Amino acid sequence: MSCGYDARMDPLYAPLQARLTGAVFTPDQFGRDLLTNFGHIHHWTPRFVVEPRTPQDVVEVVRFAREHGLPVSTRGAGHSQSQLAISQGGILLAMQALSKILHVDQRAHTVDVEGGVVWRDLVHFLKKFSLVPRVLTNNLGVTIGGTLSIAGIGVASFKYGSQGDNVVEMDVVTGAGDLVTCSPEENTDLFWSTIAGLGQVGIIVRARLQLRRMKAMTRTYYLLYDDVRRFLDDAKQAMDAGAWDHLESWASPSVQGTKPVEGRRQVFARWFFPFHLTVEFDAGSPPDDRALLAPLKPYEHLYTDDLPTIDFLERLLPVFELWKRAGTWEHVHPWMETVLPWETAATYIEQVLVDLSPAVQVGGHVLLWPAKGTTSRSRLFMRPEGEDLVGFGILPAIPPQYWAQMKPMLAGASDLSILMGGKRYLSGWIEFDLPTWKAHFGARWDWMKACKRRFDPDHLLNPGFVPDEVDRPAPVEGR
Amino acid sequence: MAIPFGTEAWAQALCAQLNASSEYRNAAAKWGKGFNGTLLLSFGADGKLPEPRHLLLRVAEGTCDGATFVDGIDHPEAGFGLEAPFSLWKDILEGRQLAVTAMLAGHLKVRGDRFKLLQHVAAQRALLHCVTSLDTVFPE
Repeated sequence: MSCGYDARMDPLYAPLQARLTGAVFTPDQFGRDLLTNFGHIHHWTPRFVVEPRTPQDVVEVVRFAREHGLPVSTRGAGHSQSQLAISQGGILLAMQALSKILHVDQRAHTVDVEGGVVWRDLVHFLKKFSLVPRVLTNNLGVTIGGTLSIAGIGVASFKYGSQGDNVVEMDVVTGAGDLVTCSPEENTDLFWSTIAGLGQVGIIVRARLQLRRMKAMTRTYYLLYDDVRRFLDDAKQAMDAGAWDHLESWASPSVQGTKPVEGRRQVFARWFFPFHLTVEFDAGSPPDDRALLAPLKPYEHLYTDDLPTIDFLERLLPVFELWKRAGTWEHVHPWMETVLPWETAATYIEQVLVDLSPAVQVGGHVLLWPAKGTTSRSRLFMRPEGEDLVGFGILPAIPPQYWAQMKPMLAGASDLSILMGGKRYLSGWIEFDLPTWKAHFGARWDWMKACKRRFDPDHLLNPGFVPDEVDRPAPVEGR
Repeated sequence: MAIPFGTEAWAQALCAQLNASSEYRNAAAKWGKGFNGTLLLSFGADGKLPEPRHLLLRVAEGTCDGATFVDGIDHPEAGFGLEAPFSLWKDILEGRQLAVTAMLAGHLKVRGDRFKLLQHVAAQRALLHCVTSLDTVFPE
């Protein structure tokens, strides 16, 4: 026992532990890693960390929290960057303890999983069935409950929407302490306010996910563009062609020297746009390269790579391992991700990249993802109107001492994206004031807050991120 | 030597500053190309500035062809207007507030084609930096 702290001195420790089959930890017992998340921006200390063993444990935690007025926050892999997955003086539910893969239905192509299952574990488990979730995030080391609560975007989202759009059914523990099954057809308000709902109304303890048949091999074409507009032309062509399974792109700097930016000389770059287009195929039936690439007009076709599909899904693991070895995984991660209307995307990207330091590539990257707004039904994954959209993300790893210096650049990029019709993707670093939150959700704000009041009447779940408006009159329910 | 804000000497000094800035010359090379890029920066009266001041900046393609204070917020030469209370301008110029954030919040008002202005936001950022770097005596 360190620091002279005795868990038994907390009068709520014993009664909380007595209600649960899982374990309760007090601040002297859990590690510092639980005081922050991947963002390393906010540092909060929970009063208790609970590792639930069963969904009923989650129910008991919420009921206990209601009885004692304690806030409850949920943490999957802790990949959030704002005030999520951490708790200030409340109960932090370490959801990775709920990590059972429950049932695969090979006919319906679905799998039932507990909310704390890590996507990587599920992907490897499903390999023997030649099945795979329709949408996977670039980082597979995150939990199902975590990404469903944000939306979950990946390189197949242009076809299948967000991960949240591919949930058939969920069991959710509401902030009222009820265990409720919901789906797009049943308890729909709970379902759609949980998907991309930032943990505001309930805790996902089980999800039934839609899968698809996975072919054994992938072929990826590494194309390079020297002009963002030509890249976007081809990205649209590729989305519409119906031939591709995965589309992934970046902005990549070629360093040119230094120039003044707001009076301070900094390294500047000419930016290029790698575009990786992937098709899955069965061994012995390789794709027709010429037919696939004929409509595209890259600056250069650099490389063609064949990989087992399971390795393709893990393609960024070596990059993440490199970042961890280099120590940048522990840096500040204020990721600025936004979804832009097609019409303003090129202009926005040009304006942001012109003064963006290529140092952003150290332990991070600049992502682009062509997307189809029409593939998502999610009510709370906010995106601009229109069919064709472009995701753009500056994903830096910043040494803590440079965070204050970098913050205005990222804040400016965020605000400019909103001025140009974009919607921030809320998995990253967000510092909205109340008017900006309301503008972000638009007409959905009142519905979201109504769901909050209905399903989390004591406003206990995941406080500190989305502002509370407890005193507002109840708005009309429904979509 | 510091120049008092709002004087013709200050306007001339700003124009010279813009023309001496390689940052502005490069960042604004396309600003005003094929359209009227002349800017009217309006500094609204508030506790620190008793009378409003309106600065007409004849800028195009990375150079300044003249700057002068004019009487009103509407000027026939201006292609674009940016209007805010003086104290907000000071926050922007001293780095406490981002211009785009002020625009998003509706505190920095835009006259003219807002999207065109946003298309050249790097040019406007370099311009504002020139204003910031001018040795100025602001009203207190």
